[in-house]
Amino acid sequence: MKHNLSYYFIPQEKNNFRAQLLKNSFLVILVGLYLVNQSIIKFIGTVKPGVLGYSSEITAEKVLAQTNIQRQNNGLPALKYNPTLSKSAINKANDMFAHNYWAHTSPSGATPWDFFKAVDYRYSVAGENLARDFYDTESLMKGWMDSPTHKANIINSKYQEIGIGVVNGTLGGIKTTLVVQHFGTPIAGVVNNPSKPKPTQTVTNPKENINKPVELTNTKILSEQKSNYINPLTINKIVGAIIFGLIIIVLFIDGYFTLKNGVNRLTGSNISHIGFLLIILIFMLYQKQGAIF
Amino acid sequence: MIIPKEIKQKPLEYLSLAIIFIIGLVIYFFANISSHTQRLVVYFMAACYFFWSIIHHYRRGDLSVSVVVEYLVMALLGIILLTVTLF
Repeated sequence: MKHNLSYYFIPQEKNNFRAQLLKNSFLVILVGLYLVNQSIIKFIGTVKPGVLGYSSEITAEKVLAQTNIQRQNNGLPALKYNPTLSKSAINKANDMFAHNYWAHTSPSGATPWDFFKAVDYRYSVAGENLARDFYDTESLMKGWMDSPTHKANIINSKYQEIGIGVVNGTLGGIKTTLVVQHFGTPIAGVVNNPSKPKPTQTVTNPKENINKPVELTNTKILSEQKSNYINPLTINKIVGAIIFGLIIIVLFIDGYFTLKNGVNRLTGSNISHIGFLLIILIFMLYQKQGAIF
Repeated sequence: MIIPKEIKQKPLEYLSLAIIFIIGLVIYFFANISSHTQRLVVYFMAACYFFWSIIHHYRRGDLSVSVVVEYLVMALLGIILLTVTLF
């Protein structure tokens, strides 16, 4: 047993003076093992939906407050909360869960604007931002503000109202929280000419205003349930850290014994390998979850 | 110690690699960039690491196919594990 382990970790004549785990074939096997881990996670998500998931402390109130802070930082008036728009946003989130998709347009071809129409919100300008898998509102807002198209919606001076859907559900077999922002300006409130449609923004012909903005009074909070499922990102980070950690340790051991035995060999530089893998490991461990669309 | 000796022999080369890593870290964490740009930073760093290895070993006189493949596999390992996990 001890002899076998030394073969994999310590450079010696039997492994041509290079720890066996650092051989290219073994590195490829480690990549393969990681991809198998990914496949298992996806398989579990398919076979046992809801076992894996992302927890979240995001609420509609926090999203509204953060959105208006960003607007105020850019010298824009705060958006008024509109429950009709929120209904539209919640419907969109529920539709993504029901039909298992993650996009502005549903597989059946329903656009964001169809959801506005379904709740009878008539607008001159409207837009939609989507996000998933974020744990906290600050990270979510940073994700949106780092994206030019989503930022353009948040700090669009043409918008007057907002509705927010924060809905928990199972998407692709994994429990998560979807956040949908629906922006709009009712027809009577339009002053400027409508702008041309953008990927996350559209315009229709002005019609009568049927929605009156109201204050935020009773936003439904759906994301404060205590989670008892496993976060797939955490699993990936642990498995990734084990693989990187193992290689880095073996690189150190390999370097030490090579020095000790005074062996000259034709291999790459352990120092540069360790530096590169450490950087990637830092990226991996530091990265927070979340995706926007 | 092999580490100081190796670095002492080619200090500027290791310094240039360290600078590449530091620039990558700073851009990744401190620049206000999207996850798409972060992914590009990772690709760029892996490419720099790979090309650095070719120049480094060429100057040292021990550039060989097996060494190039070793760096290529190491760079791909980093890219695959990070991108599959996070993006």
